[in-house]
Amino acid sequence: MGNEEIEKKETMFHGIPAAHGIAFGEAFVVSTEDIPISVEKIPGDQVEEEIKRFEKALEETEAELQKLRKRLEHDMGEDHAKILDSHSMILADEVARDETVKWIKEKKVNAAYAFSTVIDRVLTTFDSIEDEYLKERGEDIRDVKRRVVRNLMGQKAEDVAHLRRKAIVVAKNLTPSDTATLNKKYVLAFVTDMGGRTSHAAIIARSQGLPAVVGIEGFCHKVKPHDRLIVDGITGHVVLHPTPETVRIYKEAQGRLLEMEKELLTLRDYPAVTLDGHTIELSGNVEIPGEVEEIISHGAKGIGLFRTEYFFITRKKLPSEEEQYRFYSDVVKRVSPDPVIVRTLDVGGDKIAQWAADTQEENPYMGWRGIRFTLSRKDIFRTQLRAVYRAAAHGNVRIMFPMITVMDEVRTAKGICEEVKADLRAERYQIGDNVEIGIMVETPSAVAIADKLAREVDFFSIGTNDLIQYTLAVDRGNSRISYLYNSLHPSILRLLRDTVIAGHKNGIWVGICGEMPGDVYGALVLIGLGLDEFSASSYLIPEIKKIIRSVTYDETRLLVRKALNMSTADEVKQHLDKFVTEKRPELKEFIPETLA
Amino acid sequence: MVTSRVKVINKNGIHLRLAGELVKAASKFQSVITIAKDSQEVNAKSILGVAGLGAEYGSELVITVDGNDEDDALASLVSLIESSFFEGKQ
Repeated sequence: MGNEEIEKKETMFHGIPAAHGIAFGEAFVVSTEDIPISVEKIPGDQVEEEIKRFEKALEETEAELQKLRKRLEHDMGEDHAKILDSHSMILADEVARDETVKWIKEKKVNAAYAFSTVIDRVLTTFDSIEDEYLKERGEDIRDVKRRVVRNLMGQKAEDVAHLRRKAIVVAKNLTPSDTATLNKKYVLAFVTDMGGRTSHAAIIARSQGLPAVVGIEGFCHKVKPHDRLIVDGITGHVVLHPTPETVRIYKEAQGRLLEMEKELLTLRDYPAVTLDGHTIELSGNVEIPGEVEEIISHGAKGIGLFRTEYFFITRKKLPSEEEQYRFYSDVVKRVSPDPVIVRTLDVGGDKIAQWAADTQEENPYMGWRGIRFTLSRKDIFRTQLRAVYRAAAHGNVRIMFPMITVMDEVRTAKGICEEVKADLRAERYQIGDNVEIGIMVETPSAVAIADKLAREVDFFSIGTNDLIQYTLAVDRGNSRISYLYNSLHPSILRLLRDTVIAGHKNGIWVGICGEMPGDVYGALVLIGLGLDEFSASSYLIPEIKKIIRSVTYDETRLLVRKALNMSTADEVKQHLDKFVTEKRPELKEFIPETLA
Repeated sequence: MVTSRVKVINKNGIHLRLAGELVKAASKFQSVITIAKDSQEVNAKSILGVAGLGAEYGSELVITVDGNDEDDALASLVSLIESSFFEGKQ
């Protein structure tokens, strides 16, 4: 009894909040442990039979993979399904096949033991690999082994597919083949040991509107099947064995959240306009086609940031022009006639592209990324631009270059766009006619010469996350200094102001695509600074709209004018807080600490 | 029988994906093809064999081809590895 109590003690874990929402439920722990296999002696006259069994298991596994591939193709697109191709190649490996047959014949052992021994030998070489990416490839081999062994042992379906009750899926890591097997209607939330905001589980969760917390090291070993959990995808907290008191607190928070969401969704079809008639374009950020419906159902008009990296980094090979064209047109058609802003490939930093990053960088955030990468790999850049211009024939497309620091980058990139257009026309392709070209303003140097840059482009989109990190010299992931990361620092407000003024003076519009408008302080400041467009993740869109519709442009301008003269982020925060409390108390629920 | 030495110039070495590329290229030929690193020799048409070599950046591989299309096969595999698989060739 005593032990029991210690085991069931409430424990709080902290990870990376990867998808919004709160969920309660029992854990479904996805087993990534190998099935224990015992050696069995096979009588001489049954050896042939055992070999046949082995061959049949390989066939069944291949059939299983093809089925999975189809499901993945349906959910994520044909190009994505290719992830399973190396699984099939491993399965078809003749050496492993022959070696296994040899073992069965010579040692007279069962097929499961023979096959797993052959594969384990290969895996020992993988386990010594330090590189995370390479190690993950070892997971592919392990995955194939598990599938074959399961089939040999007559365990028909895979563990994940056994999910038949509503549960919180806990796993070390979820591979695309895992999520393809999952019956998503039973999933309440995801928690994984590994991964970041761009891991596969995180993206699937966001596209399905399910909460997810990722990157809690060792979590899946601390949780047993049916353990009770609370997943808070807003703060990144996961509570194991919550006490009734904790459950009550979170139920309240969830209730408020659902209530708020319901109320906010009623605003879906209303425009994002202030009480005094100032309109702001409110659009959404998208990574995969599946997210388009999410942002539209949350009330966005168009896509303010279409990230193209996911498409590149999850693949084993560079996507061809045709593949990219299909992918982009799919998204463009889904939002048409509303606009889509396609950001050209922004790899580097936290997004490692294996086919490109054969170099290890000491300081990737200041390294070979964004436009620097694409301008030095013009083959990749041209292919992407060709696909985008062709997709533009199907709707309203704008192109945006990331990570601009010097003028030459803009001019060179625009030059390439012109060449690409001329080529496509010469080849008689249909292309978009009036494709606007803009840049991300996300480095202090771009802000400093924003007046010059504005003459070269059709729009600015400010990337607040990077702008803050570069301006304040703070790595958000470093817990010792992350307290310095503050979007209300007067330096940030001034840089934003300078960018807006430079843009407007030159007659171009200025938008923002970071997390900053996601709370009431950020939103008030951005409205008051005169930003023309906000682009945000789907779950933030309703509350941003609500905030915009609850204030006047005039009062926010006044508010910001004062804030710009303050010396610390705290002063700015108090100033904004006072405004909300005194003038717009209905916005109090959007103050970031409310849920904490 | 023809043979050639080649150096791995991919920073991450020959990982699973590249091993797959190599196997695909090797499987187009009839000849028996082996790849050796140090004292380990594997069949170039086996993805598990090639990936299991653990051919890291800078390591030296010996490719041996025996069969009626051996010259073409050797040239094809050497150029694949020397061009770091597809860098700039997409």
